[in-house]
Amino acid sequence: MKTTLAIVVLLAVGALAGDVAGKWSGTFRVSGGDHSIPQIIVLKQDGNRLTGSAGPDAGEQYPIENGKIEGDRVTFELTSGEWRFSYDLKRAGADEIKGNLELKSVNNRRTAVVSLSRMK
Amino acid sequence: MRRLILSLHLTVALIGGAFVLVLGLTGSIMAFEPELDRLLHPHLSYVRPSGRVLSLAEIGQAVSKQFDGEPIVAYLPSQSPDLASEVILPRGVVCVNQYTGEVLGTRTRGQTIFGFARDLHVRLASGDVGRTIMKWSGVAMLVSLASGLYLWWPRKRVGIRGGWRTGRVWFDLHNSVGILSLVPLLVLAATGTVTGFEDHVAALLGRVTAATQIRDGQNVARRPPAAGALEITPDQAVVIARAQMPGTLAYRVQMPRYGGAYRVSLDYPRDRVVGERNLIAIDQYSGNVIFSTRSGDLSSSERILASNEAIHTGEVLGMPSRIVAWFTSVILPVQVISGWLLWLRRKRWKVS
Repeated sequence: MKTTLAIVVLLAVGALAGDVAGKWSGTFRVSGGDHSIPQIIVLKQDGNRLTGSAGPDAGEQYPIENGKIEGDRVTFELTSGEWRFSYDLKRAGADEIKGNLELKSVNNRRTAVVSLSRMK
Repeated sequence: MRRLILSLHLTVALIGGAFVLVLGLTGSIMAFEPELDRLLHPHLSYVRPSGRVLSLAEIGQAVSKQFDGEPIVAYLPSQSPDLASEVILPRGVVCVNQYTGEVLGTRTRGQTIFGFARDLHVRLASGDVGRTIMKWSGVAMLVSLASGLYLWWPRKRVGIRGGWRTGRVWFDLHNSVGILSLVPLLVLAATGTVTGFEDHVAALLGRVTAATQIRDGQNVARRPPAAGALEITPDQAVVIARAQMPGTLAYRVQMPRYGGAYRVSLDYPRDRVVGERNLIAIDQYSGNVIFSTRSGDLSSSERILASNEAIHTGEVLGMPSRIVAWFTSVILPVQVISGWLLWLRRKRWKVS
Protein backbone atom coordinates (compact mmCIF):
# COMPACT_ATOMS: atom_id res chain seq x y z
CA MET A 1 0.00 0.00 0.00
CA LYS A 2 2.78 2.40 0.99
CA THR A 3 4.73 1.55 -2.16
CA THR A 4 1.68 2.22 -4.33
CA LEU A 5 1.11 5.54 -2.58
CA ALA A 6 4.76 6.52 -3.08
CA ILE A 7 4.55 5.66 -6.79
CA VAL A 8 1.34 7.71 -7.14
CA VAL A 9 2.98 10.67 -5.39
CA LEU A 10 6.09 10.40 -7.58
CA LEU A 11 3.98 10.24 -10.74
CA ALA A 12 1.96 13.23 -9.60
CA VAL A 13 5.11 15.24 -8.93
CA GLY A 14 6.43 14.20 -12.33
CA ALA A 15 3.23 15.33 -14.00
CA LEU A 16 3.35 18.67 -12.17
CA ALA A 17 6.93 19.14 -13.29
CA GLY A 18 5.78 19.04 -16.92
CA ASP A 19 7.82 17.99 -19.90
CA VAL A 20 10.63 20.30 -20.90
CA ALA A 21 12.48 17.70 -22.94
CA GLY A 22 13.36 18.85 -26.43
CA LYS A 23 15.24 21.57 -28.27
CA TRP A 24 14.96 25.18 -27.18
CA SER A 25 16.36 28.26 -28.86
CA GLY A 26 16.56 31.88 -27.82
CA THR A 27 18.98 34.38 -26.39
CA PHE A 28 20.43 35.73 -23.19
CA ARG A 29 21.30 39.34 -22.64
CA VAL A 30 23.78 40.33 -19.96
CA SER A 31 22.69 43.23 -17.79
CA GLY A 32 24.58 46.25 -19.05
CA GLY A 33 25.67 44.38 -22.17
CA ASP A 34 25.13 45.76 -25.63
CA HIS A 35 23.75 42.75 -27.47
CA SER A 36 21.94 39.45 -27.04
CA ILE A 37 23.78 36.15 -27.30
CA PRO A 38 22.13 33.21 -29.09
CA GLN A 39 21.42 29.98 -27.28
CA ILE A 40 20.42 26.49 -28.33
CA ILE A 41 19.56 24.18 -25.46
CA VAL A 42 18.83 20.47 -25.73
CA LEU A 43 17.06 19.16 -22.63
CA LYS A 44 16.55 15.52 -21.72
CA GLN A 45 14.21 14.86 -18.83
CA ASP A 46 14.16 11.85 -16.58
CA GLY A 47 11.56 12.54 -13.89
CA ASN A 48 12.80 15.66 -12.15
CA ARG A 49 16.33 15.25 -13.42
CA LEU A 50 17.57 17.19 -16.42
CA THR A 51 20.52 16.39 -18.62
CA GLY A 52 21.45 17.51 -22.11
CA SER A 53 23.57 20.29 -23.49
CA ALA A 54 23.55 23.99 -24.28
CA GLY A 55 25.62 26.42 -26.28
CA PRO A 56 25.62 29.26 -28.80
CA ASP A 57 24.77 26.96 -31.73
CA ALA A 58 24.05 23.33 -32.52
CA GLY A 59 27.72 22.61 -33.21
CA GLU A 60 29.14 24.08 -30.02
CA GLN A 61 27.39 22.44 -27.10
CA TYR A 62 28.39 22.13 -23.45
CA PRO A 63 27.11 19.41 -21.12
CA ILE A 64 24.43 20.37 -18.63
CA GLU A 65 25.18 19.60 -14.97
CA ASN A 66 23.01 19.56 -11.85
CA GLY A 67 19.84 19.89 -13.94
CA LYS A 68 16.55 19.82 -12.04
CA ILE A 69 12.91 20.58 -12.66
CA GLU A 70 10.67 21.43 -9.70
CA GLY A 71 7.15 22.44 -10.62
CA ASP A 72 7.61 25.04 -13.35
CA ARG A 73 11.13 25.90 -12.22
CA VAL A 74 14.00 24.67 -14.36
CA THR A 75 17.57 24.94 -13.06
CA PHE A 76 20.87 23.73 -14.48
CA GLU A 77 24.53 24.65 -14.76
CA LEU A 78 27.25 24.36 -17.37
CA THR A 79 30.86 25.36 -17.82
CA SER A 80 31.97 27.13 -20.97
CA GLY A 81 35.64 28.01 -20.92
CA GLU A 82 36.40 30.19 -17.92
CA TRP A 83 32.72 30.88 -17.23
CA ARG A 84 30.28 28.91 -15.12
CA PHE A 85 26.66 29.44 -16.19
CA SER A 86 23.87 28.91 -13.63
CA TYR A 87 20.39 29.01 -15.15
CA ASP A 88 17.29 29.62 -13.03
CA LEU A 89 14.33 29.51 -15.42
CA LYS A 90 10.56 29.24 -15.27
CA ARG A 91 8.19 27.81 -17.78
CA ALA A 92 6.03 30.52 -19.28
CA GLY A 93 3.56 28.38 -21.19
CA ALA A 94 4.04 25.08 -22.98
CA ASP A 95 6.59 26.39 -25.46
CA GLU A 96 8.38 29.16 -23.61
CA ILE A 97 10.93 29.34 -20.83
CA LYS A 98 12.18 32.56 -19.29
CA GLY A 99 14.35 33.46 -16.37
CA ASN A 100 17.74 34.46 -15.12
CA LEU A 101 21.29 33.41 -15.68
CA GLU A 102 24.26 34.00 -13.42
CA LEU A 103 27.70 33.92 -15.05
CA LYS A 104 30.80 33.59 -12.92
CA SER A 105 34.48 33.49 -13.75
CA VAL A 106 37.51 34.03 -11.58
CA ASN A 107 37.11 37.69 -10.46
CA ASN A 108 33.85 38.37 -12.34
CA ARG A 109 30.16 37.85 -11.82
CA ARG A 110 27.44 38.94 -14.24
CA THR A 111 23.71 38.42 -14.50
CA ALA A 112 21.61 37.98 -17.62
CA VAL A 113 18.02 37.55 -18.71
CA VAL A 114 17.19 34.42 -20.69
CA SER A 115 14.33 33.88 -23.10
CA LEU A 116 13.81 30.54 -24.87
CA SER A 117 11.14 29.02 -27.05
CA ARG A 118 10.68 25.43 -28.14
CA MET A 119 12.11 24.65 -31.56
CA LYS A 120 9.54 23.16 -33.92
CA MET B 1 31.78 83.37 -25.31
CA ARG B 2 34.36 82.68 -22.60
CA ARG B 3 31.63 82.88 -19.93
CA LEU B 4 29.54 80.40 -21.86
CA ILE B 5 32.42 77.97 -22.24
CA LEU B 6 33.28 78.34 -18.53
CA SER B 7 29.65 77.56 -17.63
CA LEU B 8 29.74 74.53 -19.91
CA HIS B 9 33.06 73.36 -18.37
CA LEU B 10 31.67 73.74 -14.84
CA THR B 11 28.28 72.20 -15.58
CA VAL B 12 29.76 69.16 -17.31
CA ALA B 13 32.30 68.72 -14.51
CA LEU B 14 29.63 69.00 -11.79
CA ILE B 15 27.28 66.55 -13.49
CA GLY B 16 29.81 64.09 -14.87
CA GLY B 17 32.76 64.62 -12.54
CA ALA B 18 31.83 61.86 -10.10
CA PHE B 19 31.54 59.33 -12.92
CA VAL B 20 34.81 60.47 -14.49
CA LEU B 21 36.39 60.04 -11.05
CA VAL B 22 35.12 56.44 -11.00
CA LEU B 23 36.46 55.90 -14.54
CA GLY B 24 39.90 57.12 -13.46
CA LEU B 25 40.13 55.15 -10.23
CA THR B 26 38.86 51.89 -11.71
CA GLY B 27 40.88 52.37 -14.92
CA SER B 28 44.07 52.69 -12.88
CA ILE B 29 43.30 49.31 -11.26
CA MET B 30 42.38 47.68 -14.57
CA ALA B 31 45.59 48.87 -16.28
CA PHE B 32 47.58 46.47 -14.10
CA GLU B 33 44.94 43.92 -13.19
CA PRO B 34 46.98 40.81 -14.09
CA GLU B 35 50.00 42.01 -12.11
CA LEU B 36 47.87 43.08 -9.11
CA ASP B 37 46.00 39.79 -9.21
CA ARG B 38 49.30 37.87 -9.12
CA LEU B 39 50.50 40.10 -6.31
CA LEU B 40 47.48 39.04 -4.25
CA HIS B 41 47.95 35.34 -5.14
CA PRO B 42 51.71 34.81 -5.39
CA HIS B 43 51.57 31.18 -4.22
CA LEU B 44 49.12 30.33 -7.04
CA SER B 45 50.83 32.42 -9.71
CA TYR B 46 54.58 31.90 -9.64
CA VAL B 47 56.76 28.83 -10.17
CA ARG B 48 60.49 28.28 -10.23
CA PRO B 49 61.54 27.13 -13.73
CA SER B 50 63.28 23.76 -13.42
CA GLY B 51 63.79 21.10 -16.04
CA ARG B 52 61.28 19.91 -18.59
CA VAL B 53 57.82 21.42 -19.01
CA LEU B 54 55.21 18.68 -18.61
CA SER B 55 52.87 17.95 -21.47
CA LEU B 56 49.24 19.02 -21.17
CA ALA B 57 48.25 15.36 -20.81
CA GLU B 58 50.66 14.95 -17.88
CA ILE B 59 49.38 18.13 -16.25
CA GLY B 60 45.83 16.86 -16.79
CA GLN B 61 46.66 13.54 -15.12
CA ALA B 62 48.10 15.33 -12.08
CA VAL B 63 44.96 17.46 -11.77
CA SER B 64 42.55 14.55 -12.32
CA LYS B 65 44.35 12.55 -9.62
CA GLN B 66 43.93 15.38 -7.13
CA PHE B 67 40.28 16.09 -7.99
CA ASP B 68 38.82 12.58 -8.29
CA GLY B 69 38.74 12.54 -12.08
CA GLU B 70 36.67 15.70 -12.44
CA PRO B 71 36.52 16.42 -16.20
CA ILE B 72 38.92 19.02 -17.54
CA VAL B 73 37.23 21.90 -19.35
CA ALA B 74 40.34 23.61 -20.70
CA TYR B 75 44.06 24.12 -20.27
CA LEU B 76 45.59 27.57 -20.03
CA PRO B 77 49.29 26.91 -20.72
CA SER B 78 51.73 29.26 -19.03
CA GLN B 79 52.83 32.23 -21.15
CA SER B 80 56.00 32.83 -19.18
CA PRO B 81 58.55 30.41 -17.67
CA ASP B 82 57.98 31.74 -14.13
CA LEU B 83 54.17 31.78 -14.26
CA ALA B 84 52.06 28.75 -13.35
CA SER B 85 49.82 26.93 -15.83
CA GLU B 86 46.11 26.75 -15.18
CA VAL B 87 43.56 24.02 -15.71
CA ILE B 88 39.86 24.85 -15.78
CA LEU B 89 37.49 22.46 -14.03
CA PRO B 90 33.76 22.91 -13.44
CA ARG B 91 34.56 23.65 -9.77
CA GLY B 92 37.09 26.41 -10.56
CA VAL B 93 40.54 27.11 -11.95
CA VAL B 94 43.39 24.92 -10.72
CA CYS B 95 46.87 26.44 -10.71
CA VAL B 96 49.60 23.91 -11.50
CA ASN B 97 53.38 23.94 -11.54
CA GLN B 98 54.07 22.88 -15.14
CA TYR B 99 57.54 21.55 -14.24
CA THR B 100 56.53 19.23 -11.38
CA GLY B 101 52.77 18.71 -11.78
CA GLU B 102 52.25 20.03 -8.24
CA VAL B 103 48.78 21.49 -7.73
CA LEU B 104 49.36 24.94 -6.22
CA GLY B 105 45.72 25.57 -5.37
CA THR B 106 42.30 26.33 -6.77
CA ARG B 107 40.67 29.64 -7.55
CA THR B 108 36.90 29.65 -7.22
CA ARG B 109 34.67 31.72 -9.45
CA GLY B 110 32.97 34.84 -8.19
CA GLN B 111 33.33 38.58 -8.05
CA THR B 112 36.43 40.09 -6.49
CA ILE B 113 37.67 43.66 -6.20
CA PHE B 114 39.01 43.39 -9.78
CA GLY B 115 35.69 42.23 -11.19
CA PHE B 116 33.90 44.95 -9.23
CA ALA B 117 36.32 47.59 -10.56
CA ARG B 118 35.65 46.43 -14.12
CA ASP B 119 31.89 46.37 -13.49
CA LEU B 120 32.07 49.93 -12.11
CA HIS B 121 34.21 51.11 -15.02
CA VAL B 122 31.94 49.72 -17.71
CA ARG B 123 28.48 49.90 -16.18
CA LEU B 124 28.75 51.55 -12.76
CA ALA B 125 27.92 48.09 -11.33
CA SER B 126 24.28 48.78 -12.12
CA GLY B 127 23.30 47.19 -15.41
CA ASP B 128 21.86 49.02 -18.38
CA VAL B 129 21.35 52.39 -16.64
CA GLY B 130 24.91 52.35 -15.35
CA ARG B 131 26.28 51.46 -18.78
CA THR B 132 24.45 54.40 -20.34
CA ILE B 133 25.79 56.75 -17.66
CA MET B 134 29.37 55.54 -18.10
CA LYS B 135 29.41 55.78 -21.87
CA TRP B 136 28.06 59.32 -21.74
CA SER B 137 30.69 60.13 -19.10
CA GLY B 138 33.25 59.59 -21.88
CA VAL B 139 31.48 62.24 -23.92
CA ALA B 140 31.44 64.51 -20.84
CA MET B 141 35.20 64.04 -20.55
CA LEU B 142 35.72 65.05 -24.17
CA VAL B 143 33.58 68.18 -23.71
CA SER B 144 35.40 69.00 -20.50
CA LEU B 145 38.83 68.63 -22.13
CA ALA B 146 37.90 70.72 -25.17
CA SER B 147 36.34 73.49 -23.06
CA GLY B 148 39.30 73.33 -20.63
CA LEU B 149 41.73 73.85 -23.50
CA TYR B 150 39.70 76.85 -24.69
CA LEU B 151 39.76 78.37 -21.18
CA TRP B 152 43.49 77.70 -20.76
CA TRP B 153 44.55 79.07 -24.14
CA PRO B 154 44.59 82.89 -23.60
CA ARG B 155 46.84 82.83 -20.49
CA LYS B 156 48.66 79.58 -21.22
CA ARG B 157 49.59 79.01 -17.58
CA VAL B 158 51.94 76.15 -16.83
CA GLY B 159 53.61 75.76 -13.45
CA ILE B 160 52.51 76.05 -9.87
CA ARG B 161 52.73 79.31 -7.99
CA GLY B 162 51.12 80.48 -4.77
CA GLY B 163 50.42 78.72 -1.46
CA TRP B 164 48.00 75.93 -0.62
CA ARG B 165 45.69 78.23 1.35
CA THR B 166 45.21 80.77 -1.41
CA GLY B 167 43.63 78.32 -3.76
CA ARG B 168 45.96 79.50 -6.48
CA VAL B 169 47.87 76.28 -6.18
CA TRP B 170 44.74 74.27 -7.08
CA PHE B 171 44.07 76.53 -10.01
CA ASP B 172 47.64 76.16 -11.24
CA LEU B 173 47.58 72.41 -10.63
CA HIS B 174 44.32 72.04 -12.55
CA ASN B 175 45.70 74.10 -15.44
CA SER B 176 49.16 72.57 -15.59
CA VAL B 177 48.17 68.93 -15.15
CA GLY B 178 45.32 69.41 -17.60
CA ILE B 179 47.46 70.87 -20.36
CA LEU B 180 50.46 68.58 -19.88
CA SER B 181 48.32 65.46 -19.96
CA LEU B 182 45.83 66.75 -22.52
CA VAL B 183 46.88 64.43 -25.35
CA PRO B 184 46.77 61.13 -23.38
CA LEU B 185 43.54 62.29 -21.68
CA LEU B 186 41.96 63.02 -25.07
CA VAL B 187 43.10 59.65 -26.42
CA LEU B 188 41.76 57.81 -23.36
CA ALA B 189 38.43 59.69 -23.48
CA ALA B 190 37.99 59.26 -27.23
CA THR B 191 38.86 55.54 -27.28
CA GLY B 192 36.69 54.95 -24.20
CA THR B 193 33.78 56.71 -25.82
CA VAL B 194 34.18 54.63 -28.99
CA THR B 195 34.19 51.48 -26.85
CA GLY B 196 31.08 52.67 -25.00
CA PHE B 197 29.24 53.25 -28.26
CA GLU B 198 30.87 50.28 -30.01
CA ASP B 199 27.65 48.92 -31.51
CA HIS B 200 26.87 52.25 -33.17
CA VAL B 201 30.47 52.76 -34.25
CA ALA B 202 30.63 49.23 -35.67
CA ALA B 203 27.48 49.86 -37.70
CA LEU B 204 28.91 53.16 -38.95
CA LEU B 205 32.29 51.61 -39.79
CA GLY B 206 30.55 48.74 -41.52
CA ARG B 207 28.90 51.24 -43.82
CA VAL B 208 32.08 53.21 -44.42
CA THR B 209 34.46 50.29 -44.91
CA ALA B 210 31.99 47.83 -46.46
CA ALA B 211 33.14 45.33 -43.87
CA THR B 212 33.04 41.64 -44.40
CA GLN B 213 30.92 39.70 -41.95
CA ILE B 214 32.53 38.37 -38.82
CA ARG B 215 33.83 34.98 -39.80
CA ASP B 216 32.73 32.29 -37.44
CA GLY B 217 34.45 29.81 -39.64
CA GLN B 218 32.79 27.30 -41.88
CA ASN B 219 31.98 23.99 -40.32
CA VAL B 220 33.54 21.18 -42.30
CA ALA B 221 31.33 18.10 -42.46
CA ARG B 222 32.41 15.66 -39.76
CA ARG B 223 32.14 11.93 -40.03
CA PRO B 224 30.99 10.01 -36.97
CA PRO B 225 33.94 8.26 -35.32
CA ALA B 226 34.50 4.59 -35.98
CA ALA B 227 33.59 2.24 -33.15
CA GLY B 228 36.36 2.25 -30.56
CA ALA B 229 38.11 5.24 -32.16
CA LEU B 230 40.54 6.94 -29.81
CA GLU B 231 40.72 10.67 -29.19
CA ILE B 232 43.90 12.55 -29.95
CA THR B 233 45.61 14.14 -26.94
CA PRO B 234 45.46 17.89 -26.19
CA ASP B 235 49.17 18.08 -27.00
CA GLN B 236 48.55 16.60 -30.45
CA ALA B 237 45.73 19.11 -30.94
CA VAL B 238 48.16 21.95 -30.16
CA VAL B 239 50.71 20.59 -32.67
CA ILE B 240 48.03 20.40 -35.38
CA ALA B 241 46.74 23.90 -34.59
CA ARG B 242 50.21 25.49 -34.55
CA ALA B 243 51.02 23.86 -37.89
CA GLN B 244 48.10 25.84 -39.30
CA MET B 245 49.53 29.09 -37.95
CA PRO B 246 53.31 28.90 -37.62
CA GLY B 247 54.83 31.34 -35.16
CA THR B 248 51.91 31.24 -32.76
CA LEU B 249 51.69 29.99 -29.18
CA ALA B 250 48.68 28.20 -27.70
CA TYR B 251 47.23 30.08 -24.73
CA ARG B 252 44.04 28.07 -24.35
CA VAL B 253 43.07 24.51 -25.23
CA GLN B 254 39.44 23.61 -24.69
CA MET B 255 38.59 19.93 -24.40
CA PRO B 256 36.13 18.28 -26.86
CA ARG B 257 33.69 17.32 -24.09
CA TYR B 258 33.07 21.08 -23.81
CA GLY B 259 32.06 22.39 -27.22
CA GLY B 260 32.25 19.20 -29.32
CA ALA B 261 35.84 19.56 -30.57
CA TYR B 262 39.27 20.69 -29.45
CA ARG B 263 39.32 24.48 -29.60
CA VAL B 264 42.85 25.81 -29.59
CA SER B 265 43.30 29.56 -29.13
CA LEU B 266 46.56 30.85 -30.53
CA ASP B 267 48.43 34.07 -30.01
CA TYR B 268 50.97 35.83 -32.20
CA PRO B 269 53.25 37.11 -29.42
CA ARG B 270 54.15 40.26 -31.35
CA ASP B 271 50.64 41.25 -32.45
CA ARG B 272 49.13 43.04 -29.47
CA VAL B 273 46.14 44.44 -31.31
CA VAL B 274 44.38 41.44 -32.80
CA GLY B 275 46.90 38.74 -31.92
CA GLU B 276 44.60 36.84 -29.59
CA ARG B 277 41.84 36.28 -32.10
CA ASN B 278 42.98 33.04 -33.64
CA LEU B 279 40.97 29.89 -32.98
CA ILE B 280 41.45 26.49 -34.59
CA ALA B 281 38.82 23.79 -33.95
CA ILE B 282 40.01 20.22 -34.40
CA ASP B 283 38.05 16.98 -34.60
CA GLN B 284 39.11 14.92 -31.59
CA TYR B 285 39.12 11.61 -33.51
CA SER B 286 40.47 12.38 -36.97
CA GLY B 287 42.65 15.35 -36.03
CA ASN B 288 41.13 17.27 -38.96
CA VAL B 289 40.68 21.00 -38.72
CA ILE B 290 36.93 21.66 -38.54
CA PHE B 291 37.11 25.40 -38.77
CA SER B 292 39.42 28.28 -38.03
CA THR B 293 39.00 31.92 -37.16
CA ARG B 294 42.10 33.98 -37.80
CA SER B 295 43.02 37.53 -36.92
CA GLY B 296 44.08 37.96 -40.57
CA ASP B 297 40.44 37.42 -41.58
CA LEU B 298 39.17 40.36 -39.54
CA SER B 299 37.44 43.11 -41.47
CA SER B 300 38.74 46.67 -41.50
CA SER B 301 36.06 47.80 -39.05
CA GLU B 302 36.90 44.95 -36.67
CA ARG B 303 40.56 45.90 -36.85
CA ILE B 304 39.74 49.54 -36.15
CA LEU B 305 37.67 48.57 -33.11
CA ALA B 306 40.34 46.15 -31.89
CA SER B 307 43.00 48.84 -32.28
CA ASN B 308 40.78 51.31 -30.43
CA GLU B 309 40.44 48.88 -27.53
CA ALA B 310 44.18 48.13 -27.50
CA ILE B 311 44.96 51.86 -27.35
CA HIS B 312 42.42 52.41 -24.56
CA THR B 313 43.77 49.60 -22.39
CA GLY B 314 47.38 50.46 -23.21
CA GLU B 315 48.04 47.01 -24.69
CA VAL B 316 48.98 48.48 -28.06
CA LEU B 317 52.68 49.02 -27.29
CA GLY B 318 52.98 46.73 -24.31
CA MET B 319 54.30 47.89 -20.95
CA PRO B 320 55.21 51.51 -21.94
CA SER B 321 51.69 52.25 -23.19
CA ARG B 322 50.13 50.45 -20.21
CA ILE B 323 52.11 52.74 -17.90
CA VAL B 324 50.83 55.77 -19.86
CA ALA B 325 47.25 54.43 -19.61
CA TRP B 326 47.67 53.91 -15.85
CA PHE B 327 49.22 57.35 -15.34
CA THR B 328 46.48 59.03 -17.37
CA SER B 329 43.84 57.23 -15.31
CA VAL B 330 45.46 58.50 -12.12
CA ILE B 331 45.43 62.05 -13.54
CA LEU B 332 41.64 61.99 -13.86
CA PRO B 333 40.86 62.08 -10.11
CA VAL B 334 43.43 64.88 -9.71
CA GLN B 335 41.63 66.97 -12.33
CA VAL B 336 38.15 66.24 -10.99
CA ILE B 337 39.05 66.93 -7.35
CA SER B 338 41.07 70.10 -8.08
CA GLY B 339 38.19 71.32 -10.27
CA TRP B 340 35.64 70.67 -7.55
CA LEU B 341 37.78 72.44 -4.96
CA LEU B 342 38.05 75.46 -7.24
CA TRP B 343 34.29 75.54 -7.67
CA LEU B 344 33.46 74.98 -3.98
CA ARG B 345 35.78 77.75 -2.81
CA ARG B 346 35.39 80.02 -5.81
CA LYS B 347 34.13 82.98 -3.77
CA ARG B 348 36.81 82.69 -1.11
CA TRP B 349 39.68 82.20 -3.53
CA LYS B 350 38.51 84.31 -6.47
CA VAL B 351 41.02 82.68 -8.72
CA SER B 352 39.16 82.80 -11.99
